[in-house]
Amino acid sequence: MKRSSRVALLLLPSAAVVLMLLLPMLRLAAEGWSGSVNGSVEWSFITIWQDDFLKWRLLWSFTQAVVTCVLALVFGLPVAWVLARFEFPGRQLVLRLLMLPFVVPTLVAALGVLALWGPQGVFSQALGIDLQDTPWLLLYGNLFFNLCLVIRAGVDALGQVNAHCVAASRSLGATPWRAFWRVEWPVIAPWLTSSLCLVFLYCFSGFGLALVLGGQRYATVEVEIYTLVAYELKLAQASSLALWMLVLTGLVALAYAYVEKRLSVATRLHPVALRHPKTALDGLAVFASLAILFFFCAAPILAIVWRALLADSQAWAALLDTETLHALWNTLRFSAVALLIATVLGIAHALGTGTGRGSVAWRAAAYLPLIASPVTVAFGLLLLYPDWTASLSLLIAAYAVLAYPFVTKAMTAGLGSLPDNLGQVARTLGASPWRTFWRVTLPLLSPALRRGMAFAAATALGEFAVTLFLSRPEWTTLTTLIYQRLGKPGAVNLDTAMLLACLLMLLSALVFVVIDSPQRADKRND
Amino acid sequence: MLELKSISKRYENRFLADKLSLSVSRGEIVALLGASGAGKSSLLKIVAGLEQADAGQVFFDQQDITQLPPEKRHFALMFQDFALFPHLNVLDNVAFGLIEQRLNKKTAREQALAMLARFNLATHATDKVTTLSGGEQQRVALARALITQPKVLLLDEPFSALDAELRQSLRDEFKQHISHMGIATILVTHDELEARAMANRGFRLTAGQLTPVW
Repeated sequence: MKRSSRVALLLLPSAAVVLMLLLPMLRLAAEGWSGSVNGSVEWSFITIWQDDFLKWRLLWSFTQAVVTCVLALVFGLPVAWVLARFEFPGRQLVLRLLMLPFVVPTLVAALGVLALWGPQGVFSQALGIDLQDTPWLLLYGNLFFNLCLVIRAGVDALGQVNAHCVAASRSLGATPWRAFWRVEWPVIAPWLTSSLCLVFLYCFSGFGLALVLGGQRYATVEVEIYTLVAYELKLAQASSLALWMLVLTGLVALAYAYVEKRLSVATRLHPVALRHPKTALDGLAVFASLAILFFFCAAPILAIVWRALLADSQAWAALLDTETLHALWNTLRFSAVALLIATVLGIAHALGTGTGRGSVAWRAAAYLPLIASPVTVAFGLLLLYPDWTASLSLLIAAYAVLAYPFVTKAMTAGLGSLPDNLGQVARTLGASPWRTFWRVTLPLLSPALRRGMAFAAATALGEFAVTLFLSRPEWTTLTTLIYQRLGKPGAVNLDTAMLLACLLMLLSALVFVVIDSPQRADKRND
Repeated sequence: MLELKSISKRYENRFLADKLSLSVSRGEIVALLGASGAGKSSLLKIVAGLEQADAGQVFFDQQDITQLPPEKRHFALMFQDFALFPHLNVLDNVAFGLIEQRLNKKTAREQALAMLARFNLATHATDKVTTLSGGEQQRVALARALITQPKVLLLDEPFSALDAELRQSLRDEFKQHISHMGIATILVTHDELEARAMANRGFRLTAGQLTPVW
């Protein structure tokens, strides 16, 4: 593709990211540095550390992210090793289900944790443990999302290990453990580092889980920013906190980009063969891995379903009331429009990125909306476009910008694995660049595109933070309705929230299956 | 007649082609030999219009086609890995070029089926290309290249992915089809025996220069 065409394609996503992400964050940074809002100096970037409460919020946000990384590594690495090395019935299903937490909206996950460990939770009642107002609820929620991320990275990384190298090390006298440590670990370490950077970013800038599970004491900076803006109207403090978040996430994002750049997919000439568990120890390893996955990843989802099934009839009736139907309609229409825009932005970004000089920078730029904190973005948008805060276009544009990196990521990966010569042959057979794209590139990339769109759709359906900041009462979505129900007293409201969470989860899963169905792909190719 | 005049191409401070000239007549097969990375494939792509030379011109029948995009040159290119479109079946792979020439799909498919019959592949028409053997894929790729009756055929290591026995039989089949259609052909290969068996003339590409071998 010509350079001029690439530049033209990149204009669209660049404009979207600059207007909806960078400028709002710059505006926020400017406010946060001076600590002034509308000219009156109230706070500053440095003096925020003199406030013990805000200092605790920052330190706790950092600590919970680090602890989650450590726990994800401790639990995730052995599970990844078992999944990468053992063949057992259901292994493929488990690998597919590792995607599930990426499709489950944050608020649904939070409710899942409450359904297990909340006051009336399945585990808390059975075990007589009350985890309310402890940090464990949030850490457990963090692990629900991020354990699968580390396991997937670990499985992929272990697939890059050359079996011949392992065999050579064993024949040179290394025990299995020494072979792992000296041959396998150096291969997988960069991959794990990269995934742990992402885990840190997700946890550090997480909002929905911390809002619901953190309580008063263990809420994170993001929740504090929301509270300061929405309830206390202390914009100066909020922007100073947001600036610290920007700086810290920026540093980790840079580390992530650095590690990611160094990752290369080795030629897998001799991948380590899968083996059936033979000894009792092997069997125990498989069982323990499945138990870990069940405990951290499956149990919260099953608990929501369980709680929903046991819900009061009044709660079931609430599913059909006008408020719910209206929220469902809003969720669907906002997500559909956002998905459409995100798809266009994502395709343009991926095609414009190409593989030549500068492609690494553009590829990294696609991660910006993924690692930017939605609360920071939403707050920045409020400051930058005060007249548009009640605008539906702004809300949907924010949805689209936050969702489009999934399309770009999937498309760039697809483009990277597409042999150049297919397009070249099409050109010599008489196809123009556009016809080549339409008849060769697009059909071959359609599985990747559908996968990206499915993730983008799930992101839009489950969007919560931006909606909470920018939404008007008449634009209530399922996520905000769940949050409203949670804030109301009484078992019926909790039951309704569980049912709504179930509905949202089903919706996400349905959208994912419809968009990313392999059958559709096969049918089209026949 | 295909003519390359003073073609130069540099890659990372190394000449792949240095004021190189070559002409290929209709029905003639010219072989380009050379070590890996010598620039043989780049030269083919320059002829096909997929890469631009730093200097020099490409002529076909005295017409300067240097700036002509690949789809308008009417040349066909075959790669070592055949580059069959995995999302299309055998028939639609062969019909691809005809559809790009704005032939309606039904007619294009009929002609493609006739072409497949010439290559003894008609029974595989609705098969996925990934289910074919290496030799069958190779013949589908040639059928796809020849069906549009290209003016020039560019073959980039077309037999290197095949075993020795299959190579021999396909070589003869290729030569027969090419001479039957009278197409100017450039064959890029690192196998001199193969080149001698197929080509009328052979050149070795070294440091951007062509040296006649036979």
